[in-house]
Amino acid sequence: MKEVSYFPGCSAHGTSEEFDETVKMVMKTMDVEMEEIPDWNCCGATSAHTLSESLSYALPLRNLVLAEKLSNDTMTIPCASCYQRMKATKVHMDENPELAARINTAVVGEGNYEGKVAIKSMLQYCYEDMGLEAIKAKVTNPISGMKLACYYGCLLTRPKAITQFDSPEYPMSMDRIVEALGAKATPFDFKTECCGASFSISDTDIVLQLSGKILEMAKESGAHAIVVACPLCQSNLDMRQHDIEKKYHVKYDLPVFYLTQLMAIAFGFPKAKMMFAKHIIPVDSALAHIGEVIEEPKKPVKGKKAVQAESEVE
Amino acid sequence: MARVGVFVCFCGANIADFVDVPTVVEEAKKIRDVKFAIDYKYMCSDPGQQMIRDAIVQHRLTSIVVAACSPRMHEKTFRKALSDAGMNPYLLECANIREHSSWVHQKDKKGATDKAGDLVRMAVAKSIANEQLHEISVPVTKRALVIGGGIAGIQAALDIADARIPVTLVERSPSIGGRMSQLDETFPTLDCSQCILTPKMVDVASHPYIELIPYSEVIELDGYVGNYKAKIRKKASYVNFKTCTGCGACSQKCPVKVPNEYNMGIDKRKAIYTPFPQAVPNKPVIDAEHCTYLLKGKCGICAKVCEKGSIDYKMVDEVIEREIGAVVVATGYDLWDATPYEEYGVGRYKDIINSLEFERMVSANGPTGGVPVRPSDGKVPKTVVFIKCVGSRDKAKGIEFCSKICCMYTAKHAILLHHKVHDSRAYIFYMDIRAAGKGYEEFVNRAQVETGAVYLRGRVSKIYQKGDKLMVRGEDGQLGQEVEVEADLVVLATAVIPDKGNPALARLLGISYDKYGYLSEAHPKLRPVETAKAGIFLAGCTQAPKDIPETVAQASACAAKVCGLFAGDTIKKDPMVSTVSKEFCSGCQNCVKVCPYQAIVTEDIPLGHGAKEMRTVAKINEGVCQGCGSCVAICRSMAINLAGFTDPQIINEIVAI
Repeated sequence: MKEVSYFPGCSAHGTSEEFDETVKMVMKTMDVEMEEIPDWNCCGATSAHTLSESLSYALPLRNLVLAEKLSNDTMTIPCASCYQRMKATKVHMDENPELAARINTAVVGEGNYEGKVAIKSMLQYCYEDMGLEAIKAKVTNPISGMKLACYYGCLLTRPKAITQFDSPEYPMSMDRIVEALGAKATPFDFKTECCGASFSISDTDIVLQLSGKILEMAKESGAHAIVVACPLCQSNLDMRQHDIEKKYHVKYDLPVFYLTQLMAIAFGFPKAKMMFAKHIIPVDSALAHIGEVIEEPKKPVKGKKAVQAESEVE
Repeated sequence: MARVGVFVCFCGANIADFVDVPTVVEEAKKIRDVKFAIDYKYMCSDPGQQMIRDAIVQHRLTSIVVAACSPRMHEKTFRKALSDAGMNPYLLECANIREHSSWVHQKDKKGATDKAGDLVRMAVAKSIANEQLHEISVPVTKRALVIGGGIAGIQAALDIADARIPVTLVERSPSIGGRMSQLDETFPTLDCSQCILTPKMVDVASHPYIELIPYSEVIELDGYVGNYKAKIRKKASYVNFKTCTGCGACSQKCPVKVPNEYNMGIDKRKAIYTPFPQAVPNKPVIDAEHCTYLLKGKCGICAKVCEKGSIDYKMVDEVIEREIGAVVVATGYDLWDATPYEEYGVGRYKDIINSLEFERMVSANGPTGGVPVRPSDGKVPKTVVFIKCVGSRDKAKGIEFCSKICCMYTAKHAILLHHKVHDSRAYIFYMDIRAAGKGYEEFVNRAQVETGAVYLRGRVSKIYQKGDKLMVRGEDGQLGQEVEVEADLVVLATAVIPDKGNPALARLLGISYDKYGYLSEAHPKLRPVETAKAGIFLAGCTQAPKDIPETVAQASACAAKVCGLFAGDTIKKDPMVSTVSKEFCSGCQNCVKVCPYQAIVTEDIPLGHGAKEMRTVAKINEGVCQGCGSCVAICRSMAINLAGFTDPQIINEIVAI
């Protein structure tokens, strides 16, 4: 049994409850004991670092110090934004001891930051610490037949200097995981495009435009559904989908799953426990594809052969 | 009794602004052995040198100290002034009060002046112990080695050979011609690359003074300027060139297909192949890595079809030696692999190609007969996006420098595209248009006006596939907005990088290279074709990205340097070399190990006068010795002496401060 510290973040207790629930199922299946950081606080999200640099470090730093009090060497975070703030704080603190000392004075009541706990997003934890083989071994109900567009958003792999995980432009870790579950990951060029993030509230049109483009490309890739590992991505792509369809006169009907929801299904948990009722776009149409045989399209004429054919004609 | 003259230079304002020159002169006058001291605005100018010459005669000076710039700059100038006045030039000492004082202590005039005084005192003290030295003459082997048979190597070899100096031209691939032979037409005149290159290739093969050794590599270089010994490995071609007529039956029948390097892998060649129809020499070679017979002992078709019986599967690599006096390195360039541009989908999309691939497609002798096609479906593209500076000028992706040739060849590509596909349109994303060169700006204008190429100033941020089109999203900086171009084909002008074998070759030759692998010239402005090692010269893109005119000019410059070097029967060399006092040498041979130039060997001498027993001592080849002094420092018996830097000279310097 492995042990890992867990920072749920505010979304997990609200809009992304289903993420939180399924993370727990996945962890249990994979024999990982999660220990929630006691008395954790807000990571600062988008607001803190637009107001004050010190505050944007101090808020996550308190959580980091609290995490160090637990005996686990790794902390995993489901929310991409929380992950980004914590990891950024850790990287900056570790690189700049002077800054670390200064910020530490703000949270000195909790203890001294030592930098001994590794920060990993849920996606990174699944990919690196669990491993594809182990995940594959636990699959009892393969989701083969599903074609999925894996959407990473902007924060899980970027900036590279902070995340130090996967490719910042064309990551493949989530694609590999859904393939391990039996599904087919579609070639999806918009996997790291911006969804509009928190502009959803202040300037919704931007989100409709940007998320609309992501949905369009996901549909074009042939996907039955989108997979995400970020609460805000999920809410923008799922909750705004009807608005987008209305504005651009299109019909996408693309359910947006959390990666862990699909893992839980593949691990044999009943659908009823996935809290699919919280989704705006119904998931049944996508889940109905499970078990289908995907026919590989005939390979188009090879470029080099075509070139040769051409030259022979000449 | 020494009589030293001290000449302190203002160097305009370079020294005078930060060092109080008159004070330095006054300080110099206080030194016991200084009989004359004076300052002047530019000591290196003719009036300045005249002051030195006059003072030598008038004051019967025995050594001279010039306090001015670095000896690397003007030591030779002042030495000449000394010899013009009838004095041994090695009685000169330079006190470097510019680089070592005024330039580095600009905020502390008093301190800089004191330091300049100290530097003068040291130079005076050293000069007193200076001895008369005389230039060394070393014999010279009048044969040049040219490494690389692209346009740079071809031009250098032809120019040297035309001066009736024998040249050995070594080329790694089966044919000379290099990158230029892959090009279609050349900017800014659009003359056909093959038409201007192939006659030169033939000239090389037929020139009585050129020995062409294709399919070979230099594996060792020993010796020193004028007297190098090169070992060349001739790779087994498995074809007897003497009997082969180049009929091509073997290639026709060979069943093995391999990606064709000459066509950038767009089509296939056979395992026994001639790189291209105009190849020189026009003889096939067997690619041992792919030949079924050589790998598995089966097949042998080429041997069966060869009427002359020229196929020889038992041929082995051969090492040959040449004695040469100078080397011209011309190993050329490669294109950077753009895979790190993941946002462009490089490697994922077939219809993103690099500029050499495009060049091959539009070439009349190319794999598509001169018509560009999409690698994915073979269709002729109507909208082509060219992206410049892919890799170049991009710190984040690895290369800071400008690749220099891309602006021009991209303009050329736009014109060629227009010529080949009339209803096409080129979109060119650029950062700047760098068109400095004769007829270059006009050429870019021609591309814009004549072909209607759309120049968009801005970077491309993403390329993605939509249907069978590639959507190129970038910024139009002039409109200040995002643009998306629906492209059929995308051509990346990727960075020009040196041949990947350069670092190994540089180590083999004993010359230096920069962080990108480009070979380093001795001085960026004043010695652009020489390397730091005497007798080794650089031509073409092995030194930095260059276009054809510049490459040819540099190659001819190399030839001039080689001819200059070979003009006499001997080469003059600085006398600052080490000598061994045999009587003190214990024969430990530590000096042999530390010498970076392999200038020290050992010899056996009689143990005593008339004795039969022998003992081993070190012996220094003064032709090879570069005067670095490593052997002097390592010698525990103090048996080695470096002329110009003897122990008394150094000790005098130390005592003076």
